[in-house]
Amino acid sequence: MRRLAYFLTRRLVASVFTLLLVITLTFVLFWAIPATPPAQYLYPFAQHLSNYQIQRGNHVFGLDKPKYVQWAKYVEHLAEGDFGKDWNGTHINADQSVTQVPINDRIIRETRITLSLLLGGAALVLLLALPLGAFAARYAGSIGDRLIGFLTLIAICTHPMVIGLILRTFFGDQHKWLPDGGYCTFGHHAVPISSSFNPFFSSASPSACAGGPWPWFEHLILPWVSFALLFLALYTRMARASVLEVMHDDFVRTARSKGAGEPRVIGRHVLPYAGLRILTMIGMEIGTAIGIAVYIEAAFGLHGLATDAVFTFAGSSVLDLPVVLGIVTMITLIVIVGNLLVDVLYAIIDPRVGSVTRTRSTAGIEPVVV
Amino acid sequence: MRNRPTLRRFLRDRGSVVAGLVLLIVVVASLAGGPIASTLLNHDGSDLFPYSVNENLRPVGPWSHVPAVNQALSLPDNSIAPPPKHAKRTLFVLGADSEVGRDEFIRLLDGGKASLEIGLGGVLVALAVGLPLGVLAGFYGRWLDAIISRITELVMAFPLILLLVLVSVRLRPTLEPISIKHVLPPGVLEVALTIGIFTSFYPLRLIRAQMLTLRHAEFVEAERMIGASNRRIIWRHLVPHLLPTLLVWGAVAVGTNILLEVGLSFIGAGVPLTTTTWGSMLVTTWGTIYSPHTYNAQAFTVWLTIFPTLAILIAVVSLNRVSEGARRALAPREL
Repeated sequence: MRRLAYFLTRRLVASVFTLLLVITLTFVLFWAIPATPPAQYLYPFAQHLSNYQIQRGNHVFGLDKPKYVQWAKYVEHLAEGDFGKDWNGTHINADQSVTQVPINDRIIRETRITLSLLLGGAALVLLLALPLGAFAARYAGSIGDRLIGFLTLIAICTHPMVIGLILRTFFGDQHKWLPDGGYCTFGHHAVPISSSFNPFFSSASPSACAGGPWPWFEHLILPWVSFALLFLALYTRMARASVLEVMHDDFVRTARSKGAGEPRVIGRHVLPYAGLRILTMIGMEIGTAIGIAVYIEAAFGLHGLATDAVFTFAGSSVLDLPVVLGIVTMITLIVIVGNLLVDVLYAIIDPRVGSVTRTRSTAGIEPVVV
Repeated sequence: MRNRPTLRRFLRDRGSVVAGLVLLIVVVASLAGGPIASTLLNHDGSDLFPYSVNENLRPVGPWSHVPAVNQALSLPDNSIAPPPKHAKRTLFVLGADSEVGRDEFIRLLDGGKASLEIGLGGVLVALAVGLPLGVLAGFYGRWLDAIISRITELVMAFPLILLLVLVSVRLRPTLEPISIKHVLPPGVLEVALTIGIFTSFYPLRLIRAQMLTLRHAEFVEAERMIGASNRRIIWRHLVPHLLPTLLVWGAVAVGTNILLEVGLSFIGAGVPLTTTTWGSMLVTTWGTIYSPHTYNAQAFTVWLTIFPTLAILIAVVSLNRVSEGARRALAPREL
């Protein structure tokens, strides 16, 4: 237990440094990429910004201070849980005073949506990949195994966006069995989706819903399935490979020789090993998962963190620094916390923390799909 | 001569040989198929045939003869006239691609060319970046290794697609001038460059890991004892050892890059509209993430999803299978 605590503390400290490094990198990248002056947000209709306007903009956004002061201020606010105010929503009132909108609400609302998607999808993958993989490995070469192999290949090669839109078309639009997109909050408060937030998004407007656990669940079934299919395919193949790999290992033979039945051998000895492998992979692929979430959110009209990241990065000609920083920080946090969780789970399942996977190299090079 | 047994082992595995043949067909069809089909069918992938679409804008299905008329005729009341009675007809082998009516078959072949070029180009760029860095990190180690490894981990943890979007959208004006005109379709080189640079971490890590184990191998020690320089050891003895790994990785990575290109197209950060890729064909049918196409029962045809997806499936699966075969042939004991 003490070793685990020590291990976790070390990871935690390292995580804080990673986060600071990411924020620094974002700052550096932001200033390195050429763009029009941020003051454009303050004077959206100005053809050419005057010097005064540029200075006023810089002053309002706090850009007239040295870069390191800006950095320190941002980190200070972040430590208090404040993501700052966005540039895009800033405007000058009639009396020349300036109104700014905090972005905390937006970031948190979007994070909720993306996390719902990620966690539900991960649960689906964890529940199904192991049994399917174990079945395919146990009956390797059978029709079932071949069928699973073929279906996983199709799932890997069909783009998640296409899968999502096909499912939405078939279940949502054609047969109306499930809602055809949109997000419903878990709590009973309908959160109105502000129209100013995303001028690019012209897909089906999410239907108004009062919220609640069941509508939330119902709206997320299709996104979860289409999100999980790709990873389910990848992990089923991996589970099959790792089960096959250890089927004839010493510890499995020992289990057999002391008279354990087939279910016990598979369930108690083989599967935990394959499970650890999958857990490691999941920890490594949280970033990829957020990348896939972009398409799923877009296909189902969920205004989550992942799509907002793309819209912010690619959308307007001026990057909105506070929003970029907020999104990047949040995504990094998700990756870091996810990895910590995986580490804790790992330590609980395998008391030797990592010794199994460290001695074994992965057999093949798994295709990495984004 | 040295590689004879490897080749023989590869040829003995029937699955790999079949996959290799399929891959060869795909490559030849993509490279030469477009121009040949255009000549035979008398139209090319960018010609518009408005009459290959019915009144509900549903494109015709596979193997249809459509009126060879490139412009819709209108009646005096501005409605669209039926095609002229005696218009010549032209063959659409796989049907039409969308409401504008282009030949899906020729687009599939042209798209294959661009997609494969992006896949292969991305791998070459990734190797050009990853090989030197991986060798440096693995061979010299110490602080250089620490820096390169930390950066690698940091970048790999962040969603790759977001980095690709950021770079390809923000740096497009910078990248646009560097494209080889007349050799590669517009946009292919840019996409290959961005994909290549950001996927260079995979070969980098592979190479670093191998270098770490190889640098204390006996033959390296022996070489050092007879006074060979580091450079000679690296280029004459260590890099050749990496080739099998890189070959196996490369084949898989071409497939991965093709899939990445599809993703970039969906985000609107891929090749320009004038270039056809398998990704942009899917985008024609389903729309980008900014405006996914909503369901329209009358205009919907399933073929337009099946063909590009099937093409990607065949290419990726045969590449993976060939890679797998190569791995077994190169290291039969590990299996």
